[in-house]
Amino acid sequence: MTNTIRTINDRGTPYLFLLPCLLVLGSLLSVPLYKVVEYSLFDNVIVERNPTFVGLQNYRDLLSDPGYWSATLNTVIFTLGSVIGHIIVGTGLALLVNADIPQRAQTIFRSLLILPWIFTAVVVALNWQLLLNPFGVVNYVLDTLGLISEPLDWLGDPALAMWSLLIISTWRGYPFIMVSFLSGLQSIPRELYEAAEIDGAGFWGKFWHVTVPQLKPVIYGVALLDLIWTFQLFPLVWLTTGGGPGRATEVLSTLTFRAAFVDFEFSQAATAAVSILVISAAFTVLYLRNEAQKV
Amino acid sequence: MSRIEIRDLVKMYGTQQALYGIDIQIEEGEFCVLVGPSGCGKSTTLRMVAGLETISGGEVVIGDRVVNGLKAKDRGIAMVFQNYALYPSKTVYNNMAFALQMAKMPKDEIHRRVQEVADILELRPLLDRKPGALSGGQRQRVAMGRAIVRDPEVFLFDEPLSNLDAKLRGQMRAEIKRLHQRLNNTIIYVTHDQVEAMTLADRIVIMRDGRIEQQGTPEEVFHDPATQFVAGFMGSPPMNLTTCKVTDTGLALGTANVACRVPKRLSPGDTVVFGIRADDIRPNVEGAAAVTVEAKLDLIEGLGTENLVHFMLGGETIIGKTDGRAKYTSGQTVSLALDMAHSYFFDSETGARIR
Repeated sequence: MTNTIRTINDRGTPYLFLLPCLLVLGSLLSVPLYKVVEYSLFDNVIVERNPTFVGLQNYRDLLSDPGYWSATLNTVIFTLGSVIGHIIVGTGLALLVNADIPQRAQTIFRSLLILPWIFTAVVVALNWQLLLNPFGVVNYVLDTLGLISEPLDWLGDPALAMWSLLIISTWRGYPFIMVSFLSGLQSIPRELYEAAEIDGAGFWGKFWHVTVPQLKPVIYGVALLDLIWTFQLFPLVWLTTGGGPGRATEVLSTLTFRAAFVDFEFSQAATAAVSILVISAAFTVLYLRNEAQKV
Repeated sequence: MSRIEIRDLVKMYGTQQALYGIDIQIEEGEFCVLVGPSGCGKSTTLRMVAGLETISGGEVVIGDRVVNGLKAKDRGIAMVFQNYALYPSKTVYNNMAFALQMAKMPKDEIHRRVQEVADILELRPLLDRKPGALSGGQRQRVAMGRAIVRDPEVFLFDEPLSNLDAKLRGQMRAEIKRLHQRLNNTIIYVTHDQVEAMTLADRIVIMRDGRIEQQGTPEEVFHDPATQFVAGFMGSPPMNLTTCKVTDTGLALGTANVACRVPKRLSPGDTVVFGIRADDIRPNVEGAAAVTVEAKLDLIEGLGTENLVHFMLGGETIIGKTDGRAKYTSGQTVSLALDMAHSYFFDSETGARIR
């Protein structure tokens, strides 16, 4: 009996320490998660006191809605385009900042290049709206250079809106990749570059044969993380284009928001949210697997 | 195979000077070892020859070309790094083949060369492995293979054995020596280990604080050191060095008087640094130059074949040697003879040898 109590005491203590964390997580994460899944199985939730249980009907409706598929396609384009943009710009700038330049200049560049990260989405959206306005700086510069004959409506033209959004998203998101890659670059032994130099490798030779293989674990992990975040990104898209013009930049997160807080179709919104959750969960599993392999 | 000439080499890091006019001539096929304590400038010199550091002043000549302005890849050198610097993502084969691939050599020729060098270094079974799956000694051999496969004019080794344990270091040392005898390439080898320097070198260059203290054959620098620093640096245990006064009859080592001959330019009352190696302090030295002292042993280090016996002479700890089978205990007083025929005298201020 005494032994049993002692065992419970010994084994129970760690769980006791975990309890506050489990309670907070449970109330802030698990309950809303459960409620969203539950809402997706009912009709007219929140707006009616006694919603009707409809099973998977909401999912059938969602999957047969062309708006959902167009938003999914936009999400894929926006996510992949943004992540590729983040990686290309982030890698390039990380290499530049990591170049053999004076320490002071390196610190200044690093601080300046990290700025897009510290602005809130509202500030970023507002600034880019001003820049990309038909009478904004971008059109003025392009016009002065003779590259355009009349101002372009970057955010209002369905053909240009997604490209503009991708540029804004790339500008906003590259610092995370840059900082992550920079720390990866700084951990690559200098001797590897020196050995490659003696072996006859030029800039690209060293990049492909030393930098990329050494950064591979970082690239994979960071790209997956960026994929998860960008896939669910809402504020930047909503504040910049609001999913428009028309449905040109409508992504799954804005579709969900619109259904819930513009159309008050909470069941539909919950169903779309669950679809985002499933895809994000798949990426998360991949990410966690990658992290576990590192350990 | 090329000769190397380093002329008045200077290295500045901002206002800080690291090298002060280094002059070394290395003949074709010569094994030159740069040795010295940390921070003496030996690795900097090597890296300047390799083209990995800019040259602030002076010239590096490989063969008949001044290579100051050439990139590392165009200098005809191959380098083995202290940490091996093997490409972790490539197999042993591809690590060795990389330089040849960069030079766009035909695949057949690359294959032939890699296989040939793999045979020399017994690397064939390891060709498909990645560096992470190799032991320290195997990585070292791959690093050497990567250098050999390029068939360079000059090999540069930057402390290549310092990451290995003592036994493996001994084995690899012999392997490098054997390799040099076989390939007969010109080699510059940097180490802080004077045993490596003595065993491998045709020519030793001893450096200190960015300057050359002495260069010569291992025998020259060991038996005929030009300065007190060289005398103290070369040899294990290091030469016994003690400051003393010259007397009418010899030397006053603290309270002890040692009757001996001193260089003619010294006069009674001069302060001088007296040096003698442990090998020349033994219980049974014979000859006219032998001076016997009664030594109270305070420490005995048994090395198996011989013992290092520590004793005080004139307030300084002196190390002598005895036969490994002789049984001594701490505190015991024994008669030890100093073979003054092999003693050295150095200027107590400049450290220069007084002959």
